[in-house]
Parts: sequence; C-alpha cells; structure tokens
Amino acid sequence: MSALRRAGLALLGPLLALVVALVISGIVIASIGEDPFTALEVITNLGETPAAEVQSIVVILNRAVPLFLAGLAVSIAFRMGLFNIGVEGQYRLATILAAAAGAAVNLPAPLHVLFIIVVAMAVGAVWAGVVAVLKVTRGVSEVISSIMLNFVALGLAGYLLTGPLRGSAEGAGIVTTAEIPESGRFPDLTGVLTGMGLAEPRSELFGFLVVAVVVGVLVSVVLSRTRFGFDLRATGLSPSAATASGVDTRRMVISTMLLSGAVAGLIGLPDLLGADYEYGTEFTAGLGFLGIAVALLGRNSPLGIALAALLFAVLDRAAPLLQFEDIPASVVTIIQGTIVLAVVVANEIARRLARRSAERAGARATGSPPDGGGGGGPGTPPTPDVGPDGGHRTYTGVPGEPEGARP
Amino acid sequence: MATAGGPPDRPRHHGADDGGSDPGGTPLAVELRGITKRFPGVVANRDIELSVRRGEVHAIVGENGAGKSTLMKTLYGMHRPDEGTIGVDGREVVFRSPADAIAAGIGMVHQHFMLADNFTVLENIVLGSEPTRGGRLDMVEARRRINDISARYSLGLEPDALVEDLGVGDRQRVEIAKVLYRGARTLILDEPTAVLVPQEVDELFRNLAELKREGLTVIFISHKLDEVRRVADSITVIRRGTTVGTADPRTTTVKQLAELMVGAQLPTPATRESTVRDTVVLRLEGVTVRDAGGRDLVDAVDLTVRQGEVVGIAGVEGNGQAELIDAIMGLRALSAGTLTLGTDDVSTWSTRARREAGVGLIPEDRHRQGMLLEAPLWENRILGHQTRPPAVKGPFIDRRGARADTERIMREYDVRAPGPDTLAVALSGGNQQKLIVGREMSASPRLLLAAHPTRGVDVGAQAVIWELLKDARAEGLGIVLVSADLDELIGLSDTLHVMLRGRLVATVDPGTVTPEELGGYMTGARTAVGAA
Repeated sequence: MSALRRAGLALLGPLLALVVALVISGIVIASIGEDPFTALEVITNLGETPAAEVQSIVVILNRAVPLFLAGLAVSIAFRMGLFNIGVEGQYRLATILAAAAGAAVNLPAPLHVLFIIVVAMAVGAVWAGVVAVLKVTRGVSEVISSIMLNFVALGLAGYLLTGPLRGSAEGAGIVTTAEIPESGRFPDLTGVLTGMGLAEPRSELFGFLVVAVVVGVLVSVVLSRTRFGFDLRATGLSPSAATASGVDTRRMVISTMLLSGAVAGLIGLPDLLGADYEYGTEFTAGLGFLGIAVALLGRNSPLGIALAALLFAVLDRAAPLLQFEDIPASVVTIIQGTIVLAVVVANEIARRLARRSAERAGARATGSPPDGGGGGGPGTPPTPDVGPDGGHRTYTGVPGEPEGARP
Repeated sequence: MATAGGPPDRPRHHGADDGGSDPGGTPLAVELRGITKRFPGVVANRDIELSVRRGEVHAIVGENGAGKSTLMKTLYGMHRPDEGTIGVDGREVVFRSPADAIAAGIGMVHQHFMLADNFTVLENIVLGSEPTRGGRLDMVEARRRINDISARYSLGLEPDALVEDLGVGDRQRVEIAKVLYRGARTLILDEPTAVLVPQEVDELFRNLAELKREGLTVIFISHKLDEVRRVADSITVIRRGTTVGTADPRTTTVKQLAELMVGAQLPTPATRESTVRDTVVLRLEGVTVRDAGGRDLVDAVDLTVRQGEVVGIAGVEGNGQAELIDAIMGLRALSAGTLTLGTDDVSTWSTRARREAGVGLIPEDRHRQGMLLEAPLWENRILGHQTRPPAVKGPFIDRRGARADTERIMREYDVRAPGPDTLAVALSGGNQQKLIVGREMSASPRLLLAAHPTRGVDVGAQAVIWELLKDARAEGLGIVLVSADLDELIGLSDTLHVMLRGRLVATVDPGTVTPEELGGYMTGARTAVGAA
C-alpha cells in the first residue's frame, strides 16, 4: 500500500465526519427557520479588514493552544487503550494550584514561569496518578474513577478558591486567586505578527503556543521513536501480546497516566500565563471534555490533534458572532457534538478499509495465484522468490531418515 | 475430471462421468462444475470440479491456503462464485446466503464451535430455528425431534446438559445435531478432527458411519491423510486453488496422497540422532500455579531441560500446559516451587528479565500473544526484544535496524510478504508463524518455549519450522514443546511427558510410543505403570 493511499485513508475518516456533521447541523439550523449557509458564512468569514482578520486568527490560535494540549493529554492515554476522562479535573486543579503557587513566590522571570509550569504538571500528574494506582492495585476502571475524580477536583478547586487560596477582596463579584506578578507571565508573540508585516491585533497572541508546539513534538517523538513509546503503543494494540513480550503492564498504566496528567496540567496555562494571570470562577471550563473530542477527531496523532484543535477553535470563535445573525450560539455545540459522533463511526469505517486493503496487499504478494500460468493476479507476475502459496519448494528431506516415518 | 499436473506416479483418477449422475443413475448429492472465485488480485478457486455421490463420505484434502475454505464457503452460500455451477441432487442451484444452502439441505459444522456455553444442548440446537406454536416456544416438539435425531444417528445427546459441562467430542456432536435439526442431507465438516484426541476421532468416525447408513452425505475437509484414508469413500485433492485429482482411499497410500496434495515429497518431524548434552538449561522443582479460586492449574511439576534437548509435553488441551508455559515465561506467578534458568533462580524475575536472560517464546495463540496485528512487520520484529539491538539504540527505537533485520528474517525464514512495512494482519498464518520463529531465534535464546509451533500453518511452513527447531536443538538450544499434534510431539521430542489435570502423570519414550498409547495416557485411560 502506497504511503499516499495510507494518508488518504487516514484523512478520509475525519473529512467524512466533518461533512456529515455539517450536513446534520445544516438540517438542524434549517429546521429552526434559519439559513444554514448564513451560519457557514459567519463561521468561515474572518473579518472585513486585514486588522479584523489578524484579530480573528489570534483568537482562533489562542483557543486552539489549550484545545491542542487537552487533545494531546487524552491521546496519550488513548494510545495505550486507557480512557482518561479526568483531564477536566486534572487541569482545573493544576491551574488553581499553579496560579496560587505562582502568586506566592517571587523569582526571576524565566525561573518563575518554569516553576509555575512544573507545579501545574506535577499536580496534573498526581491527580491522574490516583486513577492509575486505583486501577493497578484495585482493578478500578479508569473510566469510572477518572469521572468521579473530576467531581472531587472541581469541588476541591471551589473550596480552595473560596477558602485558603482566595486572593480577591471580600465581597468582590468574581472570586479569584491572587494575581501572578509580572515575572511569572509568559511573553506574548504579538511582536512576531507585526514583524511579519501584519496589522497589530487587539488581543495578544499567547506565547504558550511555542510550549504547545514543543510538547507536541516531544510527545510525538516519545510515542513513535522510543522504547517507552513502543511499549505504550504495543500495550494499546494488544495488552496480551505486550505482556508476553515483557512489558510490565501495571507500570505502563502508571507511567502513561502520569504523562497524560502532566500534559493535562498544562491546559490551563496559556490562559493563566497569557491573559488572566489568576484563576477564578470565570476561568475557561470544559477544555478537558473538548479534548476527548479533539483527540478522537485527530485520530490520536499530534499533527491530527493540532488540525482538530484549530477546527474546534474556528467553530468556537463563531459562537458569539452567530447570535448577530439570530442563530443560537449552541449551533456550534451541535456541530461539535455531531462531529464527534460522526468521527467515531467514520474512524471505524476507515480502520476497516485500511485493514482490508492491507490484507489484499498481503494476499497479492502471498496469495494463491495458480502456478500453471493463466489467471494470476493483475500486475503481479509470479517472481522466483515470491512464489505461489503452498509449500512445494521447501522440501527439506532428512538424510538417512525413512520417508514414511509418519504413520 | 480436472487433472492438473501432479507427480508422475499420481493415483489413478476415477469417479463419475459428466451428466450429473453416477453410473447407477441416482443424482449426485453435490456437483460443482468449473467453479472459479476471484478476490481482488487473487484467484482463490479456479476450475473446481467436484462430484459427491449420495450417501458417501467424501474427503477434500489440501494444504492450508489451498482454497478449501473458499470452496466450502461457495458451497454453503457465504459468497457466490464468479464462474461455474453448483448442482444439488441433480438440480442446478444458486445460493445467495447460507439460508438458501440450508433450505437445499446443506449444513456446515464449523471448525470452531459456535455454541452458547450457558445454554443447554436443547437450547443450543434450536437456537435460530425455534419451533413455535401460537407464537410461543414449543420445547416439547423440539425435545421430541432432538431425541429422535439422537437415537437415529446414535449421537447420545442429553438435551438438558449444559454445554459448558461438555467435552470437545460432545460439543461436536451437538454441532452435528444442530445441522441435522435444520434438515441437512449433506453435511460439511471443516477439519473436524483438529480438536480431538485419537479416541474421540474414533467416536466421530462411528457417528459418520451412522450418518452414512441413514443415507446422508458427508463432505469431510481435512489435511490429516491417515484419517482421511480411514473414513472416506472417495477423496478429492485440492492444490493451489484447483482440484488436481480424485483418489480411491483403498488403493492410494498416504504418501501418494500427500505428494498429490503438496506437489512434492512429504516432510517428517522425526529428528536425527540425539543432541542432548549434560548442561541443564531449565529446572522446575515443585512448580505450582493456582487460579484465583485456589485450584491447582499446575500441580507440583518437576521438569528438567538440558542443552540440545526437546522436552515434549503431551496432553488434552486445558490440562495445565498453557499455564505451565506462562509460569516459565513469567506471565503467571508461582504459588510454590522454584524455577532455575542455567544457574539463576528466576522464580521471581519479570518476563522481560527472563527474555533478556535468553528465554524465547512461540506462543500458543500467535494473534493474542505473539503479534501486533495492526502494526507493521518491523514493529513486530521489535516486540519481545525491546531492550536489545538491532531493534533499539539506547532508549530509542532503531527503525532502520529493525527494518533491515526484518528483511533478513523474511529472507532467511521464507516469510512471504510485500515488505517490512506490511501490516502483520495481511500475512497468512504460516508466514506470521515463520516471522515469530525467526524473531525468537534471532535473539539466540538458550531456552525456547514452543507452544503448538505448527498449528494452523501449511505443510511447507510446518517443514520449515520443524527444520529450524531441529537445527537450533543441534546447536544446543533447550526446547519445551507443547503440541496437540501427537506425530509432531513423538517425532521431535527427546523426552516426552504427559500432562493430565495439572500433573505430569507419565514419561514415555518417544522412540517407541504410538499415538494411540499417548492418547490413552492423555485421557487418563492408561496410567503411568509400565511407562518408560
């Protein structure tokens, strides 16, 4: 199977899902009496002026960075066959503790940022580690325990915010942690945009984009190029084969969940270090659950997840704009929801197609074209070494052994 | 009759002439004419000619991959042939689905039983064609018919027994009854003896004789030629997708049949002179494995494997052989006893440590334990050798090294595949198994655990694998061989133990024991008294 064909099959699922989701959403919009093409126009129109376009791009990228990290966190567990639904709780708890820790210390700029990142990753990893420990010691399904730990994490974060970690004044409308000082903030990338000759946007482009790219590359290398990544993927493909090959599955569950949780800890940081500088009741929620959708749409590959995160970000940007056209913003949720449903179905179809085409490729090389000429597979003339099936050429007689030794 | 090139001394061809009937004038039960079935890029069946007379046991023999199952799927209506005609009882028929085939009186007994374990025999038989009266299940009628079938064909069924309590032979009779219950006049049995011990095979053959006496027709698919000669009235040989001839079992020897089937001379598992050395590779002392319920799966097993020695473990499946292999491999913890590899006590070592210390595994179920089916071959080369070159460099996977070594294995071990990037799922069973054997040998192990190393592979691959095991043994490898193929066990083993209910109950001399004696020990009918 050619690489082109394989890539085509890999793209087929998500593209098909996207088309199906758009059609279904179009029907929904039409059924509430609005024009689906107006909605499509709003979603795809980035703005009338160059400045507005740059602003839209910045908004999309700023939204895509946390979505990408969330998808990445989910996908690491997915690759091993683990369903980490607890990303939501992991990043919320990580963000509030990192925000509080960042506000409490005073360090030189790069160290301060690094300190906050390390705290966030550690908290995310520990929270995900609880799920892993429960799974390997008690056999608790990670699906159940990670869902439940989401509630615990949200409750805990709420308590910490209103209690010991409260930084905002008594009676303020929005409760937040204390603000992170200047040295703990991540420099923005707006300069890069203006340097490229683009108009200066109203919002700042998150510098955390660079961190997300680096993490994406690192995860990609770890998963596909290292022994650890091989063990992880092997366990995901076949736990029994991995165990027989010497992989300690229990240890893999723990290290995979720690890694997934550590990446999950990063999800809140683009907003925290790039825009908000504090964690509060208004802090972006729901990224962990969206990450599951993004990981599914991106078929668990870092590049695919990046594309899926961009797509979701485009849709999210359009949500408030749709209301100017009298179309409910929840249309975006409907599109995202149908994408996820459609992608699950489409991925399975694409997987079967890929498998079947691989089987055919194998059958062409090893199958049973008759050896007496005639009727061989098209374009596959019998070659001397890749001969027809059967075992005729491997006579391996044993010298001095009577031929009829089998009864 | 199609008579594509067989060896010069092939058996004479006989059988019915054209016209859809034998000389006696009765229509043929099944007649296939010029059946060709193509899959994209492959011709699975070509110009198949098959004539089965009413009331006979007709064997179809051929290697794995020769096209037997494609042919049977055609006859059972699971797909439609591209060319050719199917005749049943003298009428030409077109099957669109198995339901059409069943309606025409053709039934299939699959190699892998399709029974619901928690249902009774009665429930399993009626499942899918339940008799109803006024919309309600009519179990009384069902029971009457099943008892009738059981008595008429001497199947000895107990309608109320739970299937999970039944042995393999009984389950097979339930499958046969299921087909008869649906009114089949022609039964297709796909490799029915593959799962049976010799005694059960005898019983099956008695059942087949009953079916024949009642005028039913049996199509018997197999590659076990001695059995085919015992049971069949006529034989059709299929090789590389086409029928190469028919043979009369009374006048054809096993060797002639095999040569017709393979198109070359037959390999044997028998080993050359003993290569057993003094150095002990593996010693098991009182090894016990218990399940979660405290039952002994492996019960105080003592075993010694020396360099250059093949230690065979015979036994009916499910008597602890799989657990014993798992215990040696470190996949199951020992409840008691010690395991010594060379001079090291490895009882508590991890599987990876044991692999690094030189233990190789050809697993019983290659799809479950030996391969990542949806990964390319070069990744499968790495599996089990994640810590050793050429697959890895430090903490990194060495893709180039793994690919190159996969190509070497494909060359040296005759693995037929387009290339190292092919997904493992695309390979036939024999090629997958050769890749596994090649991979395990590449790490030059001192101990190889081979569980059913030639199960489900064709005769050619079987011969290659036997040769590899023999060569490795000559070079000093210690091998633990678990197999259901008694000829393979007797032929390859230097020492042969019999395992029954978790214990090693007998040690026999592979030089003198017969498969029948071995079968007796395996079922407990014989005891160790008098064993070598």
